[in-house]
Amino acid sequence: MSAERLRLVTDPVELLEPQLSAAVEDSPDGERRLRLPLSRIDAAVEALALRGGQLAALFPVTAPEPSLLAAVAFQGDLVALRAPLDGAETYPSLSRVTPAALLPERELHDRWRLTAVGHPDLLQAVDPDPDRFDRRIVGEQTFVIPYGPIRSGVFESIQYVIETGGEDVLALHVRPFFKHRRLEQRFTGLGFDHAVQVAERVAAIAGVAHATAFCQAVERALGVEPTRRAQRWRVVHAELERIANHLDVAVKLAEDAALAVGVARFGILKEQIQRLRAQLCGSRFGRGVLVPGGLAAPPLLEPRVALAVLDGFERQLRRDRRLLLGTASFTDRLVGSGALDRETVEAYAGIGPVARACGIAADARFERPYGAYVRVGGRIATVDEGDAMGRLRVRFHEIRESLHIIRQAFERLDKYGPELRSDLPDARGAAFGWAEAPMGELIYWVEVAAGLVRTVRISSPSLRNWPLFAASFRGDVLTDFSFIEHSFGLTPAGADR
Amino acid sequence: MIEWIARGLRTGIVTTRYPKRPEHPPAGFRGRVDILEADHGMPHLEATCPTGAIHVNEDGRVSLDQGRCILCGLCVAADPVRFAFAHGYETATRRRASLIAGEPGADALEDLRATLGERSRTLRRSIHIRHVDAGSDGGEEWEIQALNNPYYDMQRLGFFFTLSPRHADILLVTGAVTPAMRTPLLRAWETMPEPKAVVAAGTDACSGGLSAAVETSAGGVDAVLPVDVYVPGSPPSPIALLHGLLLATGVLTREAAA
Amino acid sequence: MSTVYTLGMVLLAVAMLAPLIGVRVSLAASAMGSALLAVVGVGTAARWSTASIDLGGWLGFGDAHLRADGLAGIFLALTGAAGAAVSLGLLERRPTRLATTLHAVIMLAVATVIGVDQAFVFLLAWETITVSLYLLAASGRDRPAALLSAYFGGSLSKLGGACLLAGFALLYGKTGSFTFHAWTSASGLGAARSIAFVLLLLGFGSKIGLIPSQAGLPPLYTSSPAATAATIAIAYNAGFYGLWRLGFQTLGPGPAWWGEVVLVLGALTAFVGILYAVGQDEITRFLGYSSVEHGGIVLLGFGVALLGQSAHQPKLAAAGLLAATLHLIMHGIAKPLSFLAADRVSAATGERELRPLGGLAPHLPRTAVAFGLAALSLAAMPPFGGFVSEWFTFEALLQSFRLDSTVARLIMALAAAMLALTAGIGLLAFAKLFGGTFLGRARSFFAHLREPGPGLGVFVLSAVALALGAIAPWEIQWLGHGLQGTLGFDLADSTISFPLVLGPVYRHFSVLAPTWLALGIPAFVLTTALLVRILLRPPVRRAPVWLSGAAPAAASVQYTPDSYANPIRVVLSSTYRFRRTLEPIPGPASPRLWEVRTDVTPAFEAYLYRPLVRAGLRLSAHTRRLQSGRLGTYLLYILVVLIVALALIPALHNR
Repeated sequence: MSAERLRLVTDPVELLEPQLSAAVEDSPDGERRLRLPLSRIDAAVEALALRGGQLAALFPVTAPEPSLLAAVAFQGDLVALRAPLDGAETYPSLSRVTPAALLPERELHDRWRLTAVGHPDLLQAVDPDPDRFDRRIVGEQTFVIPYGPIRSGVFESIQYVIETGGEDVLALHVRPFFKHRRLEQRFTGLGFDHAVQVAERVAAIAGVAHATAFCQAVERALGVEPTRRAQRWRVVHAELERIANHLDVAVKLAEDAALAVGVARFGILKEQIQRLRAQLCGSRFGRGVLVPGGLAAPPLLEPRVALAVLDGFERQLRRDRRLLLGTASFTDRLVGSGALDRETVEAYAGIGPVARACGIAADARFERPYGAYVRVGGRIATVDEGDAMGRLRVRFHEIRESLHIIRQAFERLDKYGPELRSDLPDARGAAFGWAEAPMGELIYWVEVAAGLVRTVRISSPSLRNWPLFAASFRGDVLTDFSFIEHSFGLTPAGADR
Repeated sequence: MIEWIARGLRTGIVTTRYPKRPEHPPAGFRGRVDILEADHGMPHLEATCPTGAIHVNEDGRVSLDQGRCILCGLCVAADPVRFAFAHGYETATRRRASLIAGEPGADALEDLRATLGERSRTLRRSIHIRHVDAGSDGGEEWEIQALNNPYYDMQRLGFFFTLSPRHADILLVTGAVTPAMRTPLLRAWETMPEPKAVVAAGTDACSGGLSAAVETSAGGVDAVLPVDVYVPGSPPSPIALLHGLLLATGVLTREAAA
Repeated sequence: MSTVYTLGMVLLAVAMLAPLIGVRVSLAASAMGSALLAVVGVGTAARWSTASIDLGGWLGFGDAHLRADGLAGIFLALTGAAGAAVSLGLLERRPTRLATTLHAVIMLAVATVIGVDQAFVFLLAWETITVSLYLLAASGRDRPAALLSAYFGGSLSKLGGACLLAGFALLYGKTGSFTFHAWTSASGLGAARSIAFVLLLLGFGSKIGLIPSQAGLPPLYTSSPAATAATIAIAYNAGFYGLWRLGFQTLGPGPAWWGEVVLVLGALTAFVGILYAVGQDEITRFLGYSSVEHGGIVLLGFGVALLGQSAHQPKLAAAGLLAATLHLIMHGIAKPLSFLAADRVSAATGERELRPLGGLAPHLPRTAVAFGLAALSLAAMPPFGGFVSEWFTFEALLQSFRLDSTVARLIMALAAAMLALTAGIGLLAFAKLFGGTFLGRARSFFAHLREPGPGLGVFVLSAVALALGAIAPWEIQWLGHGLQGTLGFDLADSTISFPLVLGPVYRHFSVLAPTWLALGIPAFVLTTALLVRILLRPPVRRAPVWLSGAAPAAASVQYTPDSYANPIRVVLSSTYRFRRTLEPIPGPASPRLWEVRTDVTPAFEAYLYRPLVRAGLRLSAHTRRLQSGRLGTYLLYILVVLIVALALIPALHNR
């Protein structure tokens, strides 16, 4: 797919170097690193954004010196703009360039005391007070429903402040960071075996993706490639995780529509996948599979047995999917709810099924192929509708693609050597690692030295997409709320870290 | 609608018979780590565990705090003679001390609260559960939601999820309590009428898990609320959760073998 | 009885001299006079005796009498009882002398309208009511707005009066007499009967708030001073009396389309009334539109009565008329009660809008109870009077199978559906009104909140409203006597079966036992409470409100009165043309604040009134050209008229 995209002539290095006194630095494949002065960082991001770049991450790093790093996804590469801090505590805000920077800059302010000058709304984001929130709409016609942090159902904790006139939702603010467990700090000083355990537990439902991104970052920092066999198994686990997540979204949507048969049938399908994962590795969430360098242990199930299970699963899924999408009382609730247009998604740098439902063909597996995705192909599933129905349809397409990818991954397995794990040298380095989590692209920045992890920074797709959720309420009413929320399929644990 | 019914009939009954018949996990399933050989342990064993669950005392006696174990399997891989994954799903206990495997007879030194079933005759067969996420990683929520799918169907045992704490009998808490979730969790507890019980689901809830080392987390639910049943696991499987819930209501009295 | 009648009317006449005798004496006289009239009404309707006053012929156009027969007795009792209570309520509020005078004038005029048997005096009294309503509304607070409302309401009433005049003139032309008796026994009226019916319907409808003149009524309520809105509510009954007496009794059995038209108009009125009501923020305007709605419901029963009368099925007519009368009585008690209670709220807080209120129940308990009883009655909750009357209305509409005409059956069925919809929205609307005022947390702070007086009038009406459902069997017996003259038989026999069980005139069609309900529900509640207290003795622990784990300032997170209406507006947004836009408030950039602008297109104002007014103004602009102001033109006009008259008189004389 990425081959079809026209590559512009302009190279970011050519673009930025003369204008902004940027200097190129060494970087592994797939990344372009530029060093520039702190005062020009907003101009650099703007220059890239005007040509289609999207702000993917913004965090302070410590290698090679304390700096502010802005990662921009530009023409298939990750362009890392590193601005040395030199003890500075302020920097020009990127929010005037892209609204995708609003929430990360508030987090930077709370966690590292870095103030973005020119940010319109620098309120506290981390560890919010559930009782104190501001109303944005004045007047007596509206009132506030603080939905959360403890919500109505078995859901993760996050607070939504809904300003409504009674039924119509006029404004919505998302307040994450109630579950801020400070896990990024937990990585510091751990050996790789222990650190990957932390990575898996940042967001359990995307644990394989987190472990993949973390391991990939370590491997790229040390210049090591995992074994081919390990790469294929990583792909299998990642795709199984994606299928489980998408089925979970279908279950939640059916539950919102009070379609009990839908809940039951898709609950059965999801349970089959979770049990398959447990048979493959002992954990229903794919834990203990990945380590930097390859796999931690040999798989517990033969590939042909797993394929047989997946064949039966696919037959059932096809019929259940046809029934679900043919139930008018279900689809009527989704069509037209939470509609997003392409411009808004691009402005907020939205990713994942949310962006693909608006026709944006962005998928880290195929734009910046990593691991076995370099050799295993697939199609990026997009639709044009942009509403909750579109997101569900994108997810069903992706399930079909995932099954196809798993079959391809198993095909050549016997041709590879039995080694599961490559050795890791005792070097120092710092690199990005990325993976396409079920919610969107996940980016890790890992700095390693002497066999220990020094710094980890995470850019979570859930956090990137949450402002889009607030922006997707146009003319929707309160009864549509859970449909739209579940159609986004985001996880507060990943966003809050 | 007929097609749904036809598909359901063709699938048949998939519901487990637990607790009437025991349910066995697949080979290699990570539910609980047991100590096979507790003596003659070397101090370096403590470093294999990322959460510090393994303790070797001066006599060389090895103990594993299952309340801190995140089931990473590193100790099993390092010393398979001494550590192994148990062949069962059940992990729940009513005393925190019972979670420490290898410790000789952690017995009735703790004052146990009566189970819900003992406190109220009517609360044996119809229990309403309010779940609160106090900072989990999201996995426990999936396993708790799985309790309602046709495989586990907790409603046949009389358990129901409720949305309002005023209707709840059991508070099912996941996650080590983060600072921001502490007050909402306490409010949920206050709003529940007597008799009520707390079930801490997941290793994070039992002891703080990976977050325990960070000073800002409370270090487990029992730092904030009186816990009746601990269900360790990372995350605990649905059967383990059912076992824990049945312990809390007093339907089951046998705890997981420590 | 006649002496009591005379005494009552004299006292009301004396009360008109408020500027001379003082406000308190005048109101006391009003109260006494109304009470006496109530006594007369009860007595004559129950057929214990008759009462009449001979007015002689000095008012012109033949002899006139104030005669209290069965039908008039019912309305006299209602008006008298409500009037006495309202007068007592006004006594506490010390209205101006003008308001007191007008109150007395209205009471007297209404009593006259109800009693008189001659059309000319009827019309005089009717127009007196119209003028008094106008003056009352125009004398209220905020002069410019009050004047506008008064003008609007008054003009619509005046148009109605003009229709009445036309109708009466038509009937006079056909029969040569102004007395109702002559009209009842007239034959050979032909098409004039139907034309007169339509004119009378429009005329009386303008006082009731029938479509399309429903917009005239609420502004009158809103602008009238102090508690005199309750007086206007009493005058409202006069319109129904006119329909009962003239439409049903005098113009006799008419073609079926009379009943069908009334049903359609009634259903539309009820629906439109409640839709407007549910979105209102001002309490009196809300109650005004609620009056429109209840008027529509009463007309549903009346329409069934007309259909039964035209199909020569006296039981069907009785079912409809009974339902309508019961509803009328309930409304006649509950609406003045609600206006008095609303006035007490505005006296205590200084607010007339719902938005700033809330949480008043602990501070104004008696007002809350009174308002609550009125709201429960008007929202048709069992076991109160509104439930009984709406039940009867539904049952009357369900008798459609007794008619042969398919059109009539269809219309009755549709009207029943409309009534159900109206009742549902009505419940929501009154929940909004009561909840928004008395329940929840206060949205504003009011200093020194206390009851504005002992509330004697409110107490009387509350007691009646409380018992109205339970005493339904006795009420129906009394109504049966009263309506016997109109219907030709006593409906109480077939309505009440033993013991205290009611049926909709067709005895075995359906049953309702409001008395047993009124005894049973409290008994059940009390017994359960006692059992719980004695047997279980549960310890009570209070915990704060559960709000998803948050505990913000309560006032900002509770439903506002607007929010009750919001779902209906959103769902019916195409009907209401309901649109909400957010506009940024200019100010410092952080944090950005917004303001909501709500656009609602009121259909009647935009599509009916304004075009008509514009057409009328254009027409009058044309005719103004006739008044050129030049002497020569006027002399020419006189010459032309003289010639025409000279030409016509011989022609007419020859015929």
